[in-house]
Order: sequence, then structure tokens, then C-alpha cells
Amino acid sequence: MLGIRDLRVSYGAIEVIHGVSLDVAAGECVALIGANGAGKSSTLKAICGIVPVRAGSIQFEGRDITNQSGHAIVRAGITMCPEGRQVFPQMSVLQNLRMGAYTRTDKEQDDDLDRMMDMFPILRERQTQAAGKLSGGEQEMLAIARALMARPRICLFDEPSLGLAPKIVAGVFETLAKIKAMGMTILLVEQNSMMALNLADRAYLFEAGRIVMDGPAKELKSHPEVVRAYLGH
Amino acid sequence: MLIEILQQTINGLAIGGVYVLIALGLTTVFGILGIAHFAHGSISMFGGYLTYFLMTGYGLPLIAAIPIALAAGVLLGALVEMLAYRPVRHANHINAFIVALGLTMMVEGINLQFFGHEQIVIPTTLSRVFDIKGVTVPELRLYVILSAILLVAAMMIFVEKTKTGQAIRAVAENRDAAILMGVNVTTIPLIVFGISTALGVAAGIMVGALFAIAPGIGEGLVVKGFAVLILGGLGSFPGAILGGTVLGITESIAAGFISSAYKDVIAFAVMIIVLLVRPQGLLGRAP
Ligand SMILES: Nc1ncnc2c1ncn2[C@@H]1O[C@H](COP(=O)(O)OP(=O)(O)OP(=O)(O)O)[C@@H](O)[C@H]1O
Ligand SMILES: [Mg+2]
Repeated sequence: MLGIRDLRVSYGAIEVIHGVSLDVAAGECVALIGANGAGKSSTLKAICGIVPVRAGSIQFEGRDITNQSGHAIVRAGITMCPEGRQVFPQMSVLQNLRMGAYTRTDKEQDDDLDRMMDMFPILRERQTQAAGKLSGGEQEMLAIARALMARPRICLFDEPSLGLAPKIVAGVFETLAKIKAMGMTILLVEQNSMMALNLADRAYLFEAGRIVMDGPAKELKSHPEVVRAYLGH
Repeated sequence: MLIEILQQTINGLAIGGVYVLIALGLTTVFGILGIAHFAHGSISMFGGYLTYFLMTGYGLPLIAAIPIALAAGVLLGALVEMLAYRPVRHANHINAFIVALGLTMMVEGINLQFFGHEQIVIPTTLSRVFDIKGVTVPELRLYVILSAILLVAAMMIFVEKTKTGQAIRAVAENRDAAILMGVNVTTIPLIVFGISTALGVAAGIMVGALFAIAPGIGEGLVVKGFAVLILGGLGSFPGAILGGTVLGITESIAAGFISSAYKDVIAFAVMIIVLLVRPQGLLGRAP
């Protein structure tokens, strides 16, 4: 469904992604793990058209989307729930959710809105409040729901557990599991490697802008090097 | 005394309405692009001149000249965005700043070239004067106040209730997140400049009808517009509305009770005092 070949990304003169290739099949949940600064977020941003692709190609459902503008990529069916949540702080919860459906013209947006609020009752409770007033965990729920409001064909999550208390993190992963069970194709970036590998079907390990290992999540979880460096035993 | 205060308040509301329209344009542009669009006042005056020219040169009635001038404003705003500001979009902020200054000089020059240095007054037939319990309300002022309220309300509804309006807010609050929602961040600034410039043109027409248009007026107006933004709280729509109204009324009361020679000094003194007490402006959020 999504295929990336020899992707290179740079900020100014400094290249940070040095030829990354990866695939995500329809219905799959794929995790990208790796240390801080390894280039996971940059890869997602390149897919979404937020940072330019310097070399390589990105294919989505048989179409070349390399360096297309961000809004065209969303319309193609790719949505990201970004690192740090990035809600619109002064807009209400409801307005944030409706922004999620910005590209849609169908009549079922209100039904989806209802569904999201069933899934996250706190959003229903807080629907008229400014999003910036929500707690970190609530904002993450809002960011996830907002991403789903686009009815994407694939949803990218960038560190949804970042900066949240352990109990909340567990809730976020439960939510992700639900979304996966709904049949959503997921590309997940996580620092919390253990939980990511428990959820994912397959995973890629990033190191300094390259993929150094990939395979079924189960295998990576028991790989001695992954265990030593990322699972902290 | 009370009558006099009411009288000056009515006067202040009219000029305040002009300030609010200018400030709304400036704040929307600033919110989206982070640009201090200094040329806004001069372009607004161009709109006022154009209206006058359509009336005196082509014999159009005011009611026909206004929509043409507003449409010209939309077009002009879009052109300014595309030709002047877009090329420096990703450059250092100082570049946009210099473009803004250059553009101001250019538009002032164009105004001078096309419309001359004589002051002009947009003629209207709105010459009735109402007397409401001792307060005289000229018909023209009433129309100006009502039009300003109407335009501000339309702008609020547009931003709060339409998809494009919400996208404008979203880009102002978080540009990258707006891209992730599928907002086209190339067309949004175009729309914002179009609308803002039309609001500016409306303000220019009001100035031309209430007072007069002459070289330099536009520059003074844009300074007031920025003062309103700071007074109301940067980035706040309600702040711009409140700030413009407060500035207009303060000026009028100062002119009526002290001297019109000191009205600007007094208005800016009030602004400084407000900012000493509330550095974030009347409705701005505390940092
Ligand atoms: N806007 C930017 N400008 C310059 N360099 C950047 C920018 N964003 C990221 N980088 C650099 O690119 C490299 C990869 O960063 P990236 O954010 O993709 O890593 P990451 O794997 O997501 O890390 P983290 O776990 O910290 O989120 C880092 O060295 C980072 O410093
Ligand atoms: Mg990251």
C-alpha cells in the first residue's frame, strides 16, 4: 500500500535520512523504533509532504506521491497524528474534530463525530472547551480522533505516548489496538519500543538515519541487540 | 455634559469602526503569515480614491462604486500576496519587513501619480441629521457605524462558521497541523489578503466619506491599526474589535473635551497606560 524507496531527507545542507526503504501492506500495523534523533519523525514528515524529499520515492496505492503538496497527500488518504499532538489550542474540541474532516464532502461527518465521541467520551464532555485547555492525555485522544475524522486509508502516529503518565500511555495503546482491530492500516513511531512491538505486526529499527534491522515484531522483540539497546533489560 | 459624552461616543464609534476594519485585516494577515503589512493603510486609501474616481470620472453612484472598489480590493490583495509577499515567504523575517515598507512607498507613489496630492472627499447624499434627545447623529455616521458592524459580523461568521474560515484559523494556530488536515496553505494566504484588503478598502471609503483622503492619511491609519492590535491583544479578533472601538471613542472624547490637536497624544497615552496594567492587551492572553 505504502512503499518507500531509498528516501533521503535533509534540513539545509545536513542530510538526516540516508536512503530508507520500507513497506506497509494494507491492514498491517508497522512500527518504527529507534533512539532519539534517528530520523523516525523526519520519515513520517516526508511521507506527509511537510518536509521535502531530497531523493528516492514514495508510492501510495500505486501512485507516486513523492514531493506532492501536503494537502494533496491527505486527499490521497494519508493522515498523521503528529508528535506533540499539535491540536489547534484556541479552537474548541469540536472545531478541532471538524478540521480533521476538512477534506471530506460526504454527509457522514456528523455520524463519525458521534462515533469519535463514543470512543472518547471525554471529548464529548469537553466539546465546547478550547483544545489547549485539555490535559496532555486528553489532547492525545483529540489528536487521534481528529486524525481518524479524515477517514484515512493509512494513519501515521508519531509518538502518541510522548510525555504522558504510564497509566495514560496504557490507555493510548489500548486505543491504538482498537483502531488496529477496526482494520486501519497503521504506521507507528514510538520510543516505547516494548509496547510498540507488542502492538505491531512488523517493525523497522532506525539508527542514525538508516534502517538497521526489520522483520516481524515478535522476532525483533527477542533479538538480543534490540533487547539490549531498546527494551532495557 | 452627558449629552456631550454621548455625542462624542457616536463620533468615536464611526472612527472606531474604521480602526476595527483596518485592524481586522492586519491581525488576520499577521496571524497567517507573521507579516506586519504596513502597506495596508495606503492600499485602503487607494480603494477610497478609486471609489471617488469611479464616481466623479465615470459618473457612477456611490452604491455602484462601492462593490467595484471592494472587488478591486480582493483582487489587489491577492496580487500583493502573490507578487510581493509570497517570494519572501520562506526567507528571513526582515525580508518581508522590507518588502512591506517598499510596498507602502510604491502604493503611496501610485496614489499620488493617479489621484494627485489634492485632498478628496467622497460625495454622498446622506446629509440628514437626526436629533435623538439632544444628541445629533448625522445620517452618514450612522451608516458608517452600521456598515462597520455588518462587515465585522460577516467576518466573524465567516471565520467561525465556514470551512475556509476555520482553515484560516487553523493555519494561524498551527500551520503544520493545518497541512496535515489537508488545508492548502498556498491558497489560504491568497484568500486572507483578498478579504483583508476588501475590509481595508471599506475603511478607506468610510474615511473618504467621513473626512477626506490625502497623501499620508493611509500611513497614519496603519499605525493606528497596529496600535489597536496591541491595545486589544495581538492575534485576538474580539481584542481588535474592542481595541478599535476604545481607541476611536477615546480620541473623540479627547478631541471634544480637550483639543483635537492632542487627540492622538491622549489616545496613545491611554494605550500606554492600558499596556502598563495589562501588557498582553485588553483581551490578549497572558504569556
Ligand atoms: N527542522 C529541523 N531542522 C534541522 N534539523 C532537524 C529538524 N528536525 C529534525 N532535525 C534533525 O534531524 C534528525 C532526525 O530527527 P527526527 O526528529 O526525524 O528524529 P526522531 O527519530 O523522530 O527522534 P525523536 O525520537 O527525538 O522524535 C535529528 O538529528 C534532528 O536533530
Ligand atoms: Mg520524532
